[in-house]
Amino acid sequence: MENWPEVALQHLADALFIADRSHKVAWLNRNAEELFGTTLEEARGKPLAEVTGIEQLSSLLDDHFEREDHLEPLAEKAEAAIKPSGRRYYFKVTVSRLQAPGGFDGALVQLTDITRFHEMEKFKDDYISIISHEFRTPLTSIVLGVEMLRSGLLGELNPRGREIFDAIGEDCHRLTKLVDNLLELSRIESGTIYIQAEPVDAADLVREAVRPLRLQAEKKGIALVTDIPATLPPVAADFNKAVWVLTNLIGNALRYTEPGGTITVQVRRGMRRLYFSVRDTGCGIPGEYRDRIFEKFIQVRDPEKRRGGAGLGLAIAKEIVTAHGGEIWVESEVGKGSTFTFTFPIFRREGTLG
Amino acid sequence: MGKNILLVEDEKNIILGVRTCLDAVGYEVEVAENGETALEAVRRKKPDLILLDLVMPKCDGFEVLEHLKSDPGTSDIPVVVLTAKAGEEDRERAMGLGAAAYMTKPFRPQELWDVLKKFLPDADAQ
Repeated sequence: MENWPEVALQHLADALFIADRSHKVAWLNRNAEELFGTTLEEARGKPLAEVTGIEQLSSLLDDHFEREDHLEPLAEKAEAAIKPSGRRYYFKVTVSRLQAPGGFDGALVQLTDITRFHEMEKFKDDYISIISHEFRTPLTSIVLGVEMLRSGLLGELNPRGREIFDAIGEDCHRLTKLVDNLLELSRIESGTIYIQAEPVDAADLVREAVRPLRLQAEKKGIALVTDIPATLPPVAADFNKAVWVLTNLIGNALRYTEPGGTITVQVRRGMRRLYFSVRDTGCGIPGEYRDRIFEKFIQVRDPEKRRGGAGLGLAIAKEIVTAHGGEIWVESEVGKGSTFTFTFPIFRREGTLG
Repeated sequence: MGKNILLVEDEKNIILGVRTCLDAVGYEVEVAENGETALEAVRRKKPDLILLDLVMPKCDGFEVLEHLKSDPGTSDIPVVVLTAKAGEEDRERAMGLGAAAYMTKPFRPQELWDVLKKFLPDADAQ
């Protein structure tokens, strides 16, 4: 009968190492031997960073051993040029604490080769940048020209002329937002967005999201109110992406709320998560849209019967929130208003997501 | 007398649009279509402000920016970078090299006028 666990380990596609508290290699699997051009006999007792040639592993292990009460594995991305070929590899490194019955105290280090993936990611990024650039360039003279004509700067317009330019101006705005959003969405969707989670202060987050929209709210005669408890733990989030989500929700609320209405941005604490909600007193979401509101290209007509965006904002928001390990949902009643809520995990000392 | 602005840009239609915007509010506009002619134009007649496109054939806008900022004769000219690239890294790089402001294309005439007013405060234009 085969020793299946042994066989499985030796055939595993990832490189596996077991190292002790002083980083010395106690064991490695066949893939590790082949990848790094070594053998168990050669590598045993040597520091992991030396055997692999990956400097980063040294500090990764140090970080990991420091977290005494840490239970979850820590995953990071490491870059290395592997001897003997010198080829450049990218690995996803997962470190798990390992304490064996015999008294051994150390870690299991798993290296997953993501080189191809990383290269595709780069290629896609470059491709997307080029496309975005190509769209934005002609849009530039269009926007400038339309705005100048529309404002009467280049000559008086008759009412019909003004109407036409208003319409073109709006559609230019739509096109621009579409280009921006498609870029963002395709980066996120391909799963190549690596969320850089760090401790983020909820009050800072809300402040940063609200700031650029205050003027708009004032102009439209809508009260923009924040309701944040005095002390809140930080969340594990990518600050810019989190701000984007909140700004998007508030922006939507502004569009769908009449002058005289109120938008409330609230934060509440749960056991392991913080709940961020944007409540408006707007027109609400009709039943048939409510289930589909987070899908791409779904857009509800706003009170002025205009469709200013491309229907991607909520889809992107959902991707971002989900990538953080959170959830997003909406409660709404036609004629009364809507409340969009999303959660982010509370930052735990170990630095892992939720 | 209106302030003098050097526009460094290679796209004909954008040149027309930006030039018209700037004429309309009383700025004087010079145009250079690549980095080399831009630096020549600056040497010939020092502009009050430079609008610099980052991506032009045969020329890297960043290089032009570096040249301008490392030459004490031109380092005080405010440079507003105009670009169709959307990345954060580009913005940081440009600001790090000393750009006064960074505008992403497309932009509205009012946005351009606002930025210019900010860096050319005593202009009698607009």
